[in-house]
Amino acid sequence: MINSLRGRILSVLLVVLAALLPFLYLGISRIVQDGYAEGFVNSVRTYSGLVADELEASGEANFEARAEALLDGAMLSGQVVFAEVTDGTRTLRSKISPGLGPVPHSDDFEFGEHGDQTYYITHSFKHDERTLRVRMGFDERPTFERIQSAKRHVLLAITAFLAASIMIAIWLSALLARPLVSLQQAAQRIAAGQEHATLQSQSSLQEVRELNHHLERMRQRLVGANEQLRTEIREREASEHRRLQLERQLLHRERIASIGTLAGGMAHEFNNVMTPILLYSQLALEEVPPGSSLSDDLRRVIAAAHRARNLVSRILTFSRGMDTQQNSVFPLRAPVEEALALLRDIVPENVEIIWNVDDAAPTVSGDPSVVQQIVINLCTNAYQAMRLSGGRLTLRVSAAALPDAPDNVGALLEVSDTGHGIDPALLPHIFEPFFTTREVGEGTGLGLSVVHGLVDSLGGFITVDSVPGEGTTFKVYFPGAARVATELRSVARGA
Amino acid sequence: MRRLLCILLLACGVFGPVHSASESVVLVVRADSAVKDLSSVEVRKLFLGVPVLVDGKLLHAIRNRSDARLDDIFLQQIVAMTQEAYDRQILVGLNRQGWVRPAEVGSVARVIEDLYVDPQAVSYMWLRDVEHNPRLKVLRTLWGE
Repeated sequence: MINSLRGRILSVLLVVLAALLPFLYLGISRIVQDGYAEGFVNSVRTYSGLVADELEASGEANFEARAEALLDGAMLSGQVVFAEVTDGTRTLRSKISPGLGPVPHSDDFEFGEHGDQTYYITHSFKHDERTLRVRMGFDERPTFERIQSAKRHVLLAITAFLAASIMIAIWLSALLARPLVSLQQAAQRIAAGQEHATLQSQSSLQEVRELNHHLERMRQRLVGANEQLRTEIREREASEHRRLQLERQLLHRERIASIGTLAGGMAHEFNNVMTPILLYSQLALEEVPPGSSLSDDLRRVIAAAHRARNLVSRILTFSRGMDTQQNSVFPLRAPVEEALALLRDIVPENVEIIWNVDDAAPTVSGDPSVVQQIVINLCTNAYQAMRLSGGRLTLRVSAAALPDAPDNVGALLEVSDTGHGIDPALLPHIFEPFFTTREVGEGTGLGLSVVHGLVDSLGGFITVDSVPGEGTTFKVYFPGAARVATELRSVARGA
Repeated sequence: MRRLLCILLLACGVFGPVHSASESVVLVVRADSAVKDLSSVEVRKLFLGVPVLVDGKLLHAIRNRSDARLDDIFLQQIVAMTQEAYDRQILVGLNRQGWVRPAEVGSVARVIEDLYVDPQAVSYMWLRDVEHNPRLKVLRTLWGE
């Protein structure tokens, strides 16, 4: 309680009240007492002085009767309890004086002096060349009672004031603490993570308003800094993800490139070997009688040699990246539609072909026949995956921002099937030459590696998403013709 | 212990109040003053600043403030009012009536000197201070026990 702001304010106010109120009570009581005492003493002195003056002014005749009448009159006023006139030898006292005890010899000069509750006062006056004294005693009790009554009233008023002050102190402490408590609660919410909770403290106190303003600015800066940090973290994560992806792609490309180089070398050597086989087989065929079994055998050798050369040619195509391509600018849909026209004749009837094209897709640059070959290879794989079960083969051409250059829009070719999908463990190897999951004799394992090489030769790249049992989607990104032109210009300038 | 009590009582006797019970306060003028007597009302008037004439000459009141006891007696016996009432009365007299505030003197010697100088001056003092002084005259006893 004492450590809360409200408790502190309340405690301070109560301590101040507790320290001041006794002094206030004592001060007011003293003022009241002095006022009553001063009024009493003044009245007593004036009254007794008048009596003395009157006695002095009395003539010689009937002095005693006159003095007695004056003393009786004084006694009848109700305030005088003792009155006498004396010349030192004789004393004349009022007959209606109550029987008092021994009268003190000395006078009172202050209210309450001697503690006998009677104020004794003596005046000397001259009478007939003699000095006489009139001595009177005034009852102090009524004035004491008035003083006590006034003190009780003061005490009552002070008690009421204390009670009212406590109420006001409670209210005031709550009023003063409210804006700060509001700020404290808002700060707690922010500390608990609700950083978007606005700090709004309604207070007429300038200091509190300024504190609220500064805290709100701090909160806004904190929110801004948090947002910036989150954005930076997201960007960094995306960048890291992209870096890892590129790293994997680079490793993959290097691996495929090394395999391609190896395969290309082997194919070249193999081609060299095949050339004399084919040449001498044809020469031998010319020298043997047509229709003989040897002639048939030689024709088979020559056919096998042609198939071997064709295979070598495809390996070289993969490894050299289609050096002999023509270069033109064309919309991607054109070669895709041409390839689809060829495919419709060979795709089984249980495979539905869906073709979507977005006219906003930018033109690409390269050899259209390369795109045809890419489409045919991908679609061949796709329909073979659905050959038994049937399904949908979907081709889609659209505009797409390249992941590594969001401001450069290229063309995206998507080839999806609803086949059996690819095992995730095999995905990293599908673009490698001679990698196949088919039975021996059903495939060479060069289809996707050739596609990879062709896409690479066009400056694009290929990705694959596959879910076993649901299907596979190949995405082929082709750079826009404008971007290729820009890159070519920059290469030319660099050269 | 008893010896100590005796010493204390003796000390009280030596250094206690200087006024014995039989002392009196008297009204005083210069011995050759024309003032023969003043009534209690005239004395009160004089010390309240009210002009008082004797033989056509204005009397001058001198308030003797040489000790506190004398002040109490002055207020109680002479002007018959409290200090606050006396101050109010003097101010009222000064402002409304044009009366003169009585002179106030802080030592008996100075009071006596002023009385020597001014034959119209009237003051009061303890009887012991004046009873053996032939140059001063006691007009009346104002207070005595």
